[in-house]
Amino acid sequence: MLIFALRYDLCAKRFENGRRRVMQEKVLVVDQQKCTGCRLCELVCSVFHTGASNPSRSRVKVVKWEDVGFYLPMACNHCEQAYCVEVCPTKACHREPENNNRVAIDKKLCIGCRTCIIACPFGHPFFDVQDRVTVKCDYCDGDPQCVRFCDVKAISFTDADKTNMAKKREAFLKYAESMKQVR
Amino acid sequence: MKTEPIHPIRNVRYLRPQKEWKEIIAIYLYLAGMGAGSFAIGTLINWMGVKLNLPFFPSIDLFGYTLNLSNVPILWGPIMVAIGTPFLILDLGIKWRFMYACLNPRTSWVARGFIILSIFIIFGLALLAKSVLPFEWLHAESPLWRIPEIIAFAFAFGTAIYTGVLLKATKSIPLWNTYLLPLLFLVSALSTGSMAIILSTLGTGLFSHDAGALKVLMGGEQILVVIEGIVLYLFLSRRYKAAEQGKDSVRLLLFGEMKLIFWGGIVLLGFIFPVILENIASLFPGNAVFIFVGGILLLFGGFFLRLGVLHAGIKDQIPMHRLMEIQYNVMAEKTKAL
Repeated sequence: MLIFALRYDLCAKRFENGRRRVMQEKVLVVDQQKCTGCRLCELVCSVFHTGASNPSRSRVKVVKWEDVGFYLPMACNHCEQAYCVEVCPTKACHREPENNNRVAIDKKLCIGCRTCIIACPFGHPFFDVQDRVTVKCDYCDGDPQCVRFCDVKAISFTDADKTNMAKKREAFLKYAESMKQVR
Repeated sequence: MKTEPIHPIRNVRYLRPQKEWKEIIAIYLYLAGMGAGSFAIGTLINWMGVKLNLPFFPSIDLFGYTLNLSNVPILWGPIMVAIGTPFLILDLGIKWRFMYACLNPRTSWVARGFIILSIFIIFGLALLAKSVLPFEWLHAESPLWRIPEIIAFAFAFGTAIYTGVLLKATKSIPLWNTYLLPLLFLVSALSTGSMAIILSTLGTGLFSHDAGALKVLMGGEQILVVIEGIVLYLFLSRRYKAAEQGKDSVRLLLFGEMKLIFWGGIVLLGFIFPVILENIASLFPGNAVFIFVGGILLLFGGFFLRLGVLHAGIKDQIPMHRLMEIQYNVMAEKTKAL
């Protein structure tokens, strides 16, 4: 299982600092090996948020590497130290501790400067060309549609504290092994 | 600077510079930098009490008042910044919400920039108006007038540096994430600003390469161009070594899609031609054509510098991409072995 890696890094940093998440929050967890690249998550996401079945307006993007058969649904990681929140000039991009500690964008405050898109290392917030504002994953207000409709259950919405650290470790061991092969 | 062969996978898939900030932002950065730089140099000239050797005091009559325009050539920077700022607004998704852009000055440099530019424009335009308006009470000798001048001067510097800090603050692009970028933009702002002052005095009728203050200004401008070249070299060489994407950005700028902008726009127009033309102009005192052409080219060079830096910004690679690269390479090795 491949968990969003930067999130793992940030979690590690968080624990080093001796701080823990206050409440039982949930996170999106992606099992890359299960993903078939059907992009249904993109479709349902766009339908839920915009009313249109238009994947280009989705908050989830499936990164596809056809050469190696690799598909990875990428959604916002709601980073602990969120650059998008830091750089937003209007506080439209803000953290909501009461809603799974998510990072959300207030569409009424967003001016569409796209600074958050440039700042995000994952390139996650997307510019909605129709609404002229930046949009991002908001966990569909607690019921992520990508999780609900994913046939192969490649995406799950699980408690952050219960997320299997051993599997994270396994993923990073794999990564380290691959690095050794290259060297 | 040694370069390595371009990585096939990285080159095909990851040499994707950011596409969010394009020409409009480059125009904004350029006008803000150049305007602020020219105001800073102009204020320095004013403080030193240097006269620009004008043959007459240009003035116009308006509503029965005689407006003195003699200081306009050195203090018109805020007008350029005021013209540049709408370009930033033009780039926004919802333009009428630009007033919201100052709500988060605690962490956001866009919000801080909004405040810095606003203060500079207000104070700069007020000082420009003061120099133009004929009311005697405005020109009374008082040390209190120094206060707005010092504020405007400080914020002119702030504006020039801010254009670089704005890019630096977006931490995920290694090419921009260095203190050398604000320095580069500051030096470029001062060189283009001083050249803008030189150009704006061309129409006064007594332009001469040897004319007092202008000679000093020309010399200073050439020194600034040389310093800018050194800082640009340091910027690129440091970024080349800083990170993989920093290296990619520099390669993109020097040898990739952006090479025309770099070699043609930045190096030739911004550095080589102006220096050559200004040196030729020194051989023909009184002939302003070479200065004019060199100056215009230098101003274009300043714009291309911002454009090149913006367009070459490549984001840091996320770990998943690195993993894919490795998997792909391992597969390629296996295929080769078969």
